[in-house]
Amino acid sequence: MEDIKLMLVDDEERFVRTTSKLLARKGFRIFSALSGADALHILKGHNIHVVVLDVKMPGMDGIALLKEIKRNFPLVEVIMLTGHGTLESAVEGLKSGASDYLTKPIDIEDLTARVREAFEKRRRLEEKIRKAHSNLCVKSPEATVKKAGPGF
Amino acid sequence: MHHMENEQRYTKLRKMVLVCMILVPLIPFLLTIAIGYYYFTSALEKKTVAATSRIVDDHRSMIEFFLEERRADLEFILNSYNFDYLAQHENLERVFERLQIKSNAFVDLGVFNQEGVHVSYEGPFKLTGRVYKDEDWFIEVMKKGYYISDIFLGFRRVPHFVIAMAKPEESNKWVIRATIDTYIFNDMVKRVRIGRTGEAYLLNRDGIFQTERRSGGNILDEDPDFEKYRTKNTDIKTFTQTDYRGTEYFFATTWLKDKEWLLVVRQESGDAFQALTRAGYLILFISILGIGSILAVAFYLTDRIIHRMIETDTEKDELQEQLIRASRLAELGEMAAGFAHEINNPLQIIKSEHTLVQMILNDLSEKEQLSAAEEMAELTDSINQIGLQVDRCSAITQSILKFGRKSDTTPKNVDLKEFILDVIKMISPRATVNGVDIRLNIANDLPPVFGEAGHLQQVFLNLFNNALDAIYEKHGVQGGILEISATTEIGGMIKISVTDNGCGIDVENQKKIFSPFYTTKPLGKGTGLGLSVCYGIVTAMGGSMAVASEKGVGTTFTVRLSPAQKNNL
Repeated sequence: MEDIKLMLVDDEERFVRTTSKLLARKGFRIFSALSGADALHILKGHNIHVVVLDVKMPGMDGIALLKEIKRNFPLVEVIMLTGHGTLESAVEGLKSGASDYLTKPIDIEDLTARVREAFEKRRRLEEKIRKAHSNLCVKSPEATVKKAGPGF
Repeated sequence: MHHMENEQRYTKLRKMVLVCMILVPLIPFLLTIAIGYYYFTSALEKKTVAATSRIVDDHRSMIEFFLEERRADLEFILNSYNFDYLAQHENLERVFERLQIKSNAFVDLGVFNQEGVHVSYEGPFKLTGRVYKDEDWFIEVMKKGYYISDIFLGFRRVPHFVIAMAKPEESNKWVIRATIDTYIFNDMVKRVRIGRTGEAYLLNRDGIFQTERRSGGNILDEDPDFEKYRTKNTDIKTFTQTDYRGTEYFFATTWLKDKEWLLVVRQESGDAFQALTRAGYLILFISILGIGSILAVAFYLTDRIIHRMIETDTEKDELQEQLIRASRLAELGEMAAGFAHEINNPLQIIKSEHTLVQMILNDLSEKEQLSAAEEMAELTDSINQIGLQVDRCSAITQSILKFGRKSDTTPKNVDLKEFILDVIKMISPRATVNGVDIRLNIANDLPPVFGEAGHLQQVFLNLFNNALDAIYEKHGVQGGILEISATTEIGGMIKISVTDNGCGIDVENQKKIFSPFYTTKPLGKGTGLGLSVCYGIVTAMGGSMAVASEKGVGTTFTVRLSPAQKNNL
């Protein structure tokens, strides 16, 4: 198994802790953050592949954080997680570039499956970028990403 | 507290309405009665007075005529014969016989010379030779030439009165005198018939009875009440007076013209004004009847008004309560959605912890650090149970959130078959618990309808739930059948029927079943809004709703909806 770097962002500390343990057991490398600011800080220091993000958080909420992440780290795949299964927040999340949308309580098996899917997506994207690099000698990866668009 | 206040308010209001209801018709009624009574009775009184006056007048004329005739009789004799002739007894006898033929009121006839000596007499007494020179009547007739005496006893000691006339002959005056039968005269005066107690009598200027009074009063007695009606006037006088015995009488009096006698006609007031009394009673009876009916109507109407007011107030209160309940329900819905969301977070933690525990246990058992004891199996079972229960909770929160989401208000095409099946899913747990057999007969080729899903859901949920209520009431938890069918009718309308074999609705209630706030359910159980709201929704969609029911057999509600327009498809 590849070394998937996964970050959990949720204000529920116990959730973050236990889920981290579980996902670690599943073989992920886990980072965890209890707030949007924490999450952005960690993203700057690590090449995180997938972020699992709670929609409702105090301070910077999930949607705002999602937009921030997509702006600064476009390659990071984000899975939204919420207790409130409203269609509106799902639509907004997906519009802002979330790759998936899950409602609590989620089964750990489901979560890992979704995370893997997201990672696969990211991997394929990186593959494309790499190809683009070698074929078209694009100057910066950002430019290519912008051309391809985040949602394909 | 509130109830008490209301009670007081109604009591006060009731009093006010009642007072108005009574006074408004009563005042004009009493005024009318009073005015009517006044005019009616005064007219009657005038009539009675006039009638009595006329009787007095007639009676006086008769008495005067009688006296006039007697005087004429004597005058005739006086002028036909001379003193010398009549002084002969046999002549006087003959004349008297003729006189008596003319009028039997004459008792005797006598001739007097200037000295008052009774020269000749014809009659039942022996009066010849008596000297009357100093008698009042003789002095009087010698002076005036004509005289009618009061009743007096005279020499014969029998009440009588005399008519005397004097005639001058040569240098002398002679006098004839006749006695009038008191009996006949008395009878004539008395003979007046007015009502039960009417009577007539004569009094002289001193109030001495000249004729007998029926109700008591002998000739020559003094009338003790005379002072009360002594008068100088010769006109007819009418008045009401209480006599010495305390009886009230209506009097009509008049003085005779030629003789100073007062003719009195009197009648007991009660008798005289009998018609008046009767009219009074009649008016009293009408008044009592009128007041009675006014009171009855006032009480009845006030009762009705207050009852209606209480009804309206209660309805208003109920409406307010229902609005509060409805808004509370809406709040509750929102709160439920909020709770569901909040509960999902701890549920997530429980789920994660559960998975972690399971994983650790698995790892341990794989590493064979755990004995496969019976306790271990129990522990595993218990942990599995936690997982199951968490899933169950999450199913509940999901359905709450889903229900909240159903209230989307944009109208769109709704596939009825799928939609109805969805709604049935919502009631099927209740149906299963109550042992109701749901029979579906929904055509496959139903066209969609255009409308708000939330509203349609409300309509069908309501109908299904009502059906289940009716079934439960009749059958309890066994033997209920709920039949739901949907077909396209020939005209193109979609007909959805919901038939139950429940308790049914009687004809009276069927008429009102779609009216707002009409409910047969016990207080607090139904708002009475369900079917009226359904009716509103269905008619707003251009559809119709009908009910057919038989008490004790079952009910069918039929909803007809028009299919969606082609361009909406």
